[in-house]
Amino acid sequence: MKSTAVDAVIRGLKKAGVTVVCYLPDSLFKELYPALDADPDIRTIPVTNEGEGAAICGGVFLSGKRAVLVMENSGLRASVEPLARMGLGAGIPVVMLMSYRGELGENNWWAIPHGITMEPMLDALRVPYRVVRDEDAIEEAITDAFSWSYAAYYHSAIALGGSIVR
Amino acid sequence: MKRYDCMTKLGERLTDELVILSLGGSVDEWYNAAPHMRAASLFQQQLGCVTGEAFGLAVGLPHRQVISLDTDGGLLFNLGILATLGNEQPENLLTIVWDNQMYLSIGGPRTHTAAGRVDLAAIARASGVEKAFTATTLEEFDALCAEGLAASVPYVIVAKVDGVLQPGIKRKHSDGREDKYIFVRHVEETEGVVIMGPSEHN
Repeated sequence: MKSTAVDAVIRGLKKAGVTVVCYLPDSLFKELYPALDADPDIRTIPVTNEGEGAAICGGVFLSGKRAVLVMENSGLRASVEPLARMGLGAGIPVVMLMSYRGELGENNWWAIPHGITMEPMLDALRVPYRVVRDEDAIEEAITDAFSWSYAAYYHSAIALGGSIVR
Repeated sequence: MKRYDCMTKLGERLTDELVILSLGGSVDEWYNAAPHMRAASLFQQQLGCVTGEAFGLAVGLPHRQVISLDTDGGLLFNLGILATLGNEQPENLLTIVWDNQMYLSIGGPRTHTAAGRVDLAAIARASGVEKAFTATTLEEFDALCAEGLAASVPYVIVAKVDGVLQPGIKRKHSDGREDKYIFVRHVEETEGVVIMGPSEHN
């Protein structure tokens, strides 16, 4: 991930009012995590699985602060149970920023399931999402996701793919 | 030890704290045992993310005492949260685990604590939550609550309770959405913040 893309993500998060980032690190976003850790305006919370991160983000929402869950798109599968319970059961939203593993161009066999399952799972959860492959669109995508989630009180997701993460 | 008696004791100690809880019968018991805390409690029906949500709330409101009322089945669903608490060391989070050694809400099948080999407090300590204790009597539980509420480190109490739902209690009628709105409005009012604000006119 280029430093300009990392900067765009952090600019978007700050513009959206995010002060807490829960993450489980992955390889495509590997430059993003240390940059988030180093940012004095953001508290990062590494988690043991993405579902735990979703739960923590839900709790941060209830405090009036804003959080985001950053992960590889495989983490969506680990998050489905708390996302369904919190989102569909109580209307507690989580905004997710995912790396798009397994899209066309993927050259790792183990990442293929991530690409095949991501969009159908988002659709099954009725989570609106945007796939962003243009660095210039990152910032607006993040702020749009937060605007929507704080109007709908439901989850939304941004997947960064293409040359942004390769 | 009866969970309802423990809840009554805990409730007597609470005034302006915030509580997140689950699951099954413990929801109705807390609703009755601590009626003054109803608006300050987020009633959930979830397995595995109650303490995570409570931790997130504690992160967002570091000046406010937050209490997670978790269960043996719920905590076993994601033991990783203990490692996260061990690393993050929240100063304002008390976690109480109602350990009745069964999935009571579905009729009482055993959880992994039933065989007597799995020690949730020991797992918490080994995860970096040094203040983690097991209570087997009401007096022990009450004393641990006093210490845990005053602590400035993450604190876990595993309360060994029986599997008998308190008879004759009133069922809570609201669902997760109504509970969330009640809780959020309480946080907004007591913290002077806006969480779910007015819609834009544009």
